[in-house]
Amino acid sequence: MAATALEKLATWRVRGTRASEQVVEQGIIVLEQGALKRMGDDAWAFLEQLALASLDIGRLDIADDCLEQLTEEFPGSPRVECLKGIRLEADDKPGEALNFYEAALREDDTNIALWKRQIAVLRGQGPQTIPRAVEELTRYLDTFYADVEAWIELADIYSELNLYALSLQALAHVLLLASQNPFYVLRFAETAYTAGDIPLALKTFLRVIDMDESGPSEGNATKRAWWGVKLTSSRLLSSSNASSDSQTLAPSAEHLKLLDELATERLAGSYSTTSADRQARGRDVVLAWLIGRKR
Amino acid sequence: MASYTLSHQAYLKIIFHAAKHPHKPVNGVLLGKQTATSVLVTDAVPLLHLWTNLSPMMEIGLDLARTHADALGLQVVGYYQATERLDDRALAPVGEKVASKIKENFNDAFALVVDGEKMGTEEPALIPYIANGTSWHPHNSAFAGDSPFTLENQKSPSRAMALIRERGLHRQFGDFDDHLEDVTVDWLNNAGCTDKGAKKT
Repeated sequence: MAATALEKLATWRVRGTRASEQVVEQGIIVLEQGALKRMGDDAWAFLEQLALASLDIGRLDIADDCLEQLTEEFPGSPRVECLKGIRLEADDKPGEALNFYEAALREDDTNIALWKRQIAVLRGQGPQTIPRAVEELTRYLDTFYADVEAWIELADIYSELNLYALSLQALAHVLLLASQNPFYVLRFAETAYTAGDIPLALKTFLRVIDMDESGPSEGNATKRAWWGVKLTSSRLLSSSNASSDSQTLAPSAEHLKLLDELATERLAGSYSTTSADRQARGRDVVLAWLIGRKR
Repeated sequence: MASYTLSHQAYLKIIFHAAKHPHKPVNGVLLGKQTATSVLVTDAVPLLHLWTNLSPMMEIGLDLARTHADALGLQVVGYYQATERLDDRALAPVGEKVASKIKENFNDAFALVVDGEKMGTEEPALIPYIANGTSWHPHNSAFAGDSPFTLENQKSPSRAMALIRERGLHRQFGDFDDHLEDVTVDWLNNAGCTDKGAKKT
C-alpha cells in the first residue's frame, strides 16, 4: 500500500498538484508504514511536500514534525527557510510572516522563493496591500524577466482588479516566453474576450486549436477553445461592431459562418455518447443552446 | 422586500463547491421560482473554479444553466460565490456583473457570498446581497430571527459538514469547468451529491 502512495505522491510532486487533502492522507500511510527510510533522497522532497500540504489543510502538527526533520538535515537551507515562513503564514500572522521574509531577504536577496512568498502574502491580505504586491512583483519581473509563473500571477492580479488590458499585456510576455503551451494561449484568448476584444479572442482561440497535435482525442485546452470559437464567431455575426483595441480584423461574414458551423459541429459531436456507462451529461441543454445560437 | 427560502439541496451544493476547492474562488448560479409568498431557491448550478475573473466560459455556463432552468420550469434567480480568503465577504466585481445580468431577467435576483469563517459551524455560512440600483449590498440579519432569508432545513449547515467530513461527498461534486474537460460530469444536476438521508425540521 505504501508503494502506491509513494507513486501518487511522486506524480503530484512532479506536476505541482495542490491536492492537499489527498497528499496528507497518502503521506500518513507512508509514515505509518515506516516507508520513509526506504525512500533515500526522495524522503526530503516528500517531507517538504507533506509539510506544505499539512499547512494547507491546517494539520500544523504534521507540518511541524516534517519541518523539524528538514531543519535538522538541512540547516540554513533557503528552501527550509521558505517553509518556516509559510509556517508563520499558517498561523494567520501575515505581519509576522512579512517581517520574517523581509529580514531573510535582507540577509540573502537571491532567495527568490522568499520574495515570491512575500508577494503572495501581500496579495493575500486583500485590497489594502495589493498595490504593494503589484509593485514588488513588477520589481521582481524587472530582475527575473523569464519567470513565466510570475507573469501569470501578475496577469491574475490585474484581472482580479478588472484591469484586463494590463492583464493581457502581462500574458503577452508569457506567450513570448512559452509559446508552446496551449493553456497559456487559451488564457490569453479568454482574457482578450473579457477585455472586449472579440476579434483577438477568436483569432487566439483558433490558435489554441491549431496547436493541438494530439490527434483524434482533443486536449482540454482545445475543448474549451471550440466553445470560445462558437461564442466569438456567433457574437461577431450578430453584431456589426467588431471593435478591437489590438486592431485585429474580424474574419469576413462568410468565414464567420463557416467557423460558427464548424464549432457547432465539433461541440455537438463531443456530446455523442460512446458507451452506456460513460454518458455525456446535459446533452439536450447543449444542443438546444447550439441551435438557438445559430445565425 | 421579497423573502427568500433556500432549499436543503441548494445549500449543500454551494458548500460542497466551496469545500472542493478551498484555495480557489468558485461561483455558480441559483435556480428557483417565485411563489406567492417568496422566492424559493430549489437548486444551485456550479460554474467555475478556474479563471473565475474571465468571462467567456461563465457566459456560456450561465446560458446553459438558463436553458436547463427553462426545461424544468424554473428560472435563474441568483448567483453565489466563495473565495479563498476567510475574511473576504465582499461580492466580487465579477459577481456584481453576473448578478446584475441575472436581475435583468428576474427582478428579485440576489447573490450569496459564502462566509468562510462560519463554514465549519452550525450557522448558515452565507451572506446575502441585494441590489440597490446598480450597486449590491450585504443584508445583515440573514438566516436569523425574522430575516427575509430562511433555510428550508435548519440542519443544512451541520448536515453539509457531516457529509463533507464523514463521506467526502464534496469530492464527487462537479462544476462546468470540470464538465468542459469531461462531458460525463453531471454539473447541471450533481445527482450523486444529494442528501438522501435529510429530514426536514
